[in-house]
Amino acid sequence: MAMKFKVNSGAADLKKFAGLITNREAAIRKAKANDINPTFRINEIAKKFHPDFQKMVISEIIVHEGADAKTFVFKKADSSEAAFFRAGQYVSVLLKINGSLVTRPYSICSSPLEAKQGIVKITVRNVKDGFAAPYMLENFKVGDEVIISGPEGTFYYEELRDAENVIAIAGGSGITPFLSMAYAIRDGLEDFNLTILFGSRTEENILFKKELDEVAAECGKVKVVHVLSDEKKKGFENGFINAKLIKKYAPEGGYSIFMCGPEAMYRFAEKEIESLGIERKFVRRELLGVTKNVASFEDYPEEAAGKAFDVTVIIGESEYKFKANADEPVLAAIEKAGIPAPSRCRSGECGWCRSKLVSGEAYTPKENDGRRFTDIECGYIHPCAAFPLSDLVIEVPGSYMK
Amino acid sequence: MKKYDYIVVGAGCAGLSAALELAVSKRKVLLIEQHNIPGGCATGFVRGRFEFDPSLHELCGVGSAENPGGTRQIFNRYGVDIEWVEASDCFRVISKYSDGTDMDVTMPSGIDAFIDKMEFYVPGSRPAMLRFFELMQNIEDGLAYLSSDEINPADIIKQFMPMVRSGGYCTNDILNALGLPEKAKDILSVYWSYLGVDMDNLSFLHYASMVNSYVKFSAYFPKHTSHDISVRMVERLRELGGEIMMGCRADEFLFKGDKCYAVKTNLGTFEAEYGILANINPDIVYGKMIPKNLVPEREKKLCAARKRKLGARMFTAYFGLNKSIEELGIKDYSIFLPQSSDSVAEYNSLRRISTNNYSIFLCYNVHNHGFSPEGTCVCSFTTMFTSGTDFDNLKEEDYYRLKTAMAKKFINSLKEKAGIDISDAIEEITVASPYTFARYLNSPEGAVYGYETREWDGIIARTIEMTMGLDYKVKGLYPVGTNGVRGDGYSSAYADGQIIAQKAMADFEKEGK
Repeated sequence: MAMKFKVNSGAADLKKFAGLITNREAAIRKAKANDINPTFRINEIAKKFHPDFQKMVISEIIVHEGADAKTFVFKKADSSEAAFFRAGQYVSVLLKINGSLVTRPYSICSSPLEAKQGIVKITVRNVKDGFAAPYMLENFKVGDEVIISGPEGTFYYEELRDAENVIAIAGGSGITPFLSMAYAIRDGLEDFNLTILFGSRTEENILFKKELDEVAAECGKVKVVHVLSDEKKKGFENGFINAKLIKKYAPEGGYSIFMCGPEAMYRFAEKEIESLGIERKFVRRELLGVTKNVASFEDYPEEAAGKAFDVTVIIGESEYKFKANADEPVLAAIEKAGIPAPSRCRSGECGWCRSKLVSGEAYTPKENDGRRFTDIECGYIHPCAAFPLSDLVIEVPGSYMK
Repeated sequence: MKKYDYIVVGAGCAGLSAALELAVSKRKVLLIEQHNIPGGCATGFVRGRFEFDPSLHELCGVGSAENPGGTRQIFNRYGVDIEWVEASDCFRVISKYSDGTDMDVTMPSGIDAFIDKMEFYVPGSRPAMLRFFELMQNIEDGLAYLSSDEINPADIIKQFMPMVRSGGYCTNDILNALGLPEKAKDILSVYWSYLGVDMDNLSFLHYASMVNSYVKFSAYFPKHTSHDISVRMVERLRELGGEIMMGCRADEFLFKGDKCYAVKTNLGTFEAEYGILANINPDIVYGKMIPKNLVPEREKKLCAARKRKLGARMFTAYFGLNKSIEELGIKDYSIFLPQSSDSVAEYNSLRRISTNNYSIFLCYNVHNHGFSPEGTCVCSFTTMFTSGTDFDNLKEEDYYRLKTAMAKKFINSLKEKAGIDISDAIEEITVASPYTFARYLNSPEGAVYGYETREWDGIIARTIEMTMGLDYKVKGLYPVGTNGVRGDGYSSAYADGQIIAQKAMADFEKEGK
């Protein structure tokens, strides 16, 4: 026996039900058949924050004499605003070098406010046996067009997570995100106390010395301590940035440590920080990149070392075949083959290059494994941090940066 | 160039489901997706040592393996195997009853347990609650009957008059007609936000279908975030011979005469013999992806009638915490924290940033202990905006401040209402706004619910329209997703993808005859 139920009188309920059809038809019928407007303000703003890429022009090149580095001032080619960013974020620079199509992540060293004038600055320091850095230092000229990504990365201050006092540990060109943070504090965009312990070899080597001293003089919340490893000088700390030095400059109460610098600096500083007994959440490290010596990892299957493998990359209906060496990440081999593949962080973290390993095996160092649980289970790799262990067939996503 | 039977554009929940329905039906399918991961909202992301689910709270209609609900049946049909976790309580809500007194109730799943608990909180509610569930059962059976092959009007009159009589009304009308006590209605109004329409405007059939399913089949969520669902679907599609292209963005649909036959993308043009299914908001498809002269008059009018009134825009803060749920005193998977139990007032307060004090707190480790490393847990707070106004002209620097301010508001509200303080345990934090959803989904205003399913645009009205064949759109081109017959939500999207894929195949077979 079905239940008995009514809302109003029988006729009223039925009329209401019939109204489901008639009301819809009436609403549609009486509307105007205008052309459909497919644009929405929120989407336009989202695109401004997160463009597929930004076409820039080099408007100025600043040479840092003693530091063997240059700052490239990029200006939006169409004079519009550049994507706004959080101080500490990076952009990925697209480079075409002798048939290779490579990207490199560089921390932005300018103030986010300058993005509103269309300006984004990065600093490139020469790297011995490097590939992209020497190319940029030698070839980039004022007026050149350069394609960069939107701002990426999570190396920025978070009021709800970080301590009010931040001790920054910077090595060499690792100063750049902190310079941006210092500017952001000065410009009222960020609000925290930043003490930068900046390691350089000699005084002459110090990158942005003038700029750092200026912003520290202008803004009480920013403090810079220069630490020279190869030189003893009055007014400078000497040696490496160790636990003792951190303690010397650490404020009373809690503090966060932010680190950015070369691999050797991380390895040293991390041991020192361990002895300070700071909660893990208060220690943050900018991207590591990937190791140059993958065979040094204990869990690396050594039989692959020194070998070269056949790689097939599938993008859409296109197929590319090339060789890849065991000691370099798959992404590097893809780029050398001149294939447009998406990438951003080149440290295994952001997942931009996430690709399906259709067949074959690859090794991902634990410290670079930023993959999702299911991706690991279902045979996905981040080619920027995956080293080939056999011949590979990979499905790579299309790239929008060109 | 390869030729496919069908191409599915967009690997959101509906697109994935459509592609699998076509593939299990032995059609040759190409699935393309603009992003480098599948799933749309059903995805996951990693920060530090934590993995996060950006949107799924609980999936409707899963049910147990022995007693599968509609959603699990879809996955079973596709041969997609997901590790599910049951959220045994429906929800906890801390708010105010409409008489101004404090409300703090936890409702279990299972019809008997739900009714018992309601009787405990609201003595005397049992008879009306029994009728409430009896009515919902009638609706469940009635809707199943309506989608069967042979429908006899006499049977409807004999068996499903309660469904017909309640079918035209909005939810509050029916709760009143059932004679539910005020406090019981207050408790039952909690679920409105899952559908994004207040109880005065939410179709009762829509509400009833969802509540019945949650209470009866319990709520489930995937053990390894909803990214797991989406990737397993993609991998299954691969096994069935389907092809997948990621980082492949559709620019336009190409036509021969009035029939859509191909899609042009950044990776080339791909042709489909029989049809293309677009997991894209129809206004974007009709507004810029097909020739203007082929946009049907009715679609233009439908778009105009909707007045760009989109459903909820999500605003979510995700936290990786360096303490366990025991240390933090978290016992509930899901806590609703509205200001009041008046869904109309709540809906209106969610139009603006300044008045939005709503949130749903979720802690993924409560039923899923291994969700994050030992001694940690992951939680999120979600609110939504029922209008995009405040996001139309937000200054960049204010945007970042807003994220922090909203996250603070969430944390404080949990502390004040539930006595749980997470503020010292935050190891990772990420906040997603309508801009974030717009970035990853490209949906209008980043809305995850499509157009609001209210009044004449509710799911029942949409379903009837389809049954009557009035929804005929563009030859060979089928929109799937939250603007479809089933409205918003994961389970609805999976169902819609399946329904439309079946329709696309049936259309071709008709034509073939």
